[in-house]
Amino acid sequence: MRQLHIAILAALAWCITAPAAFAHHSFSAEFDVSKPIKLQGTVTRVQWINPHTWIYIDVKKPDGTTENWGIEGGTPNTLFRLGFTRDAVQVGSVIIVDGYESRDGSKRANGRDMTLPDGRKLFMASSVGNDAASKDK
Amino acid sequence: MRAIVATTLLVTAGLISLQAQAQTQAQRRAAPAVKAGAAGEWKTPWGDPDLQGTWSNQTLTPLERPREFADKPVLTEAEAAAYEKRLVDAGNVDNRNPGTVQDVNLAYNQVWWDRGNRIVADRRTSLVVDPPDGRVPPLTPAAQKRRDEDRAASDAEKFAASWLDFDVYSRCIIRSALPRLSTGYNNNYEIVQAPGLVAIMQEQVHETRMIRLGNTPHLPSDVRQWLGDSRGHWEGNTLVVETTNFTDEARGSTFQYATKNMKLVERFTRVSDRTIDYQFTVSDPGTWTRPWTAKLPWNRIDGLIYEYACHEGNLGMEHMLSAARAAERKGR
Repeated sequence: MRQLHIAILAALAWCITAPAAFAHHSFSAEFDVSKPIKLQGTVTRVQWINPHTWIYIDVKKPDGTTENWGIEGGTPNTLFRLGFTRDAVQVGSVIIVDGYESRDGSKRANGRDMTLPDGRKLFMASSVGNDAASKDK
Repeated sequence: MRAIVATTLLVTAGLISLQAQAQTQAQRRAAPAVKAGAAGEWKTPWGDPDLQGTWSNQTLTPLERPREFADKPVLTEAEAAAYEKRLVDAGNVDNRNPGTVQDVNLAYNQVWWDRGNRIVADRRTSLVVDPPDGRVPPLTPAAQKRRDEDRAASDAEKFAASWLDFDVYSRCIIRSALPRLSTGYNNNYEIVQAPGLVAIMQEQVHETRMIRLGNTPHLPSDVRQWLGDSRGHWEGNTLVVETTNFTDEARGSTFQYATKNMKLVERFTRVSDRTIDYQFTVSDPGTWTRPWTAKLPWNRIDGLIYEYACHEGNLGMEHMLSAARAAERKGR
């Protein structure tokens, strides 16, 4: 519990003191804060576009039917600098998504966190740094 | 015959132009950018100070000095390291509080964010250097009203009737009003110079400022532009740019609740092979009780600027409006 408090305080401190850093558009206008969702599915399509990438996955429901969900991520430009191309996510691979459902009820969610089934975070494999300023110090 | 001659001339001009472009690009890529050394060593072939290259202004340093550092304008090395670690840790998705609007708006995990993990090299606790307390001067009552209205409009985006209800960033018009501060990602710029002209392209949302040099007057005051109207000149090795003629045509088209009559003065000074010292001063009696100045470095990046075709993929606008209509159907 104490750790949770520290984490919340730290997050609040970050929000108060860090530079403004929100996504290109308001995600809370697009996704529903009261509808967190966890999805596991097979990648069917990747849209490597600005201002936001979209990864589509087929999710099997308990009744055996399949739904196709769109997952919204950040700018691909950041990933390019980290050394990733559109091939970083292969069609047919399985990913797990934690996020929030869309407010209009369509099969969309944001990719708050995306992991591989073995627990590794998606896109975290690169050793390339992304901090320009640190190179100058 | 005249048509053929004209066509030939046009094609020739086009080829020359293409060739010139190719040469320029080749020169830019081939040019060892610059040598380290005393100020003034970085010169273009025509003798102007050379600011060309790709740069980033990303930093963790906040615009205003946090209250916890009220009496501490500069941190020690140890304090800076601890502060950087704290900010980076707090931004980690695992430390965010699920089920909050802030968490939704932070959108995705930190692999997508590119804020950097360092504060400015001189370890200042704020980008604001004047006033000395590191804080933006108080807003006038009129500006406070504009701020409150903008916040209300931001909250109301969930029920927006039109794309016109969104700010210039969501609408892919410009990233934000000038001057530019460090934000979450794509804090990258490319500067290209020609005799009499400096062009600055920002990666996100891919707009280019054209800064004319020399003693030419600003546009007439009734001509208003998203990036204002910039005029520059050299003071020694410093590029000084004055920008006026801003517009308040859309939400977010003025800087920090300023009016369209704000005056911006920027100073770009090459101080090393890899750093431009960038400072700006904004003044607008209708907004702040006094002018104020901030300073943040532009650091060279070893890479290209990528295209940011914002309109092409702006599915978020469609989705936000669709969500607003869904909310209406539910009676909110």
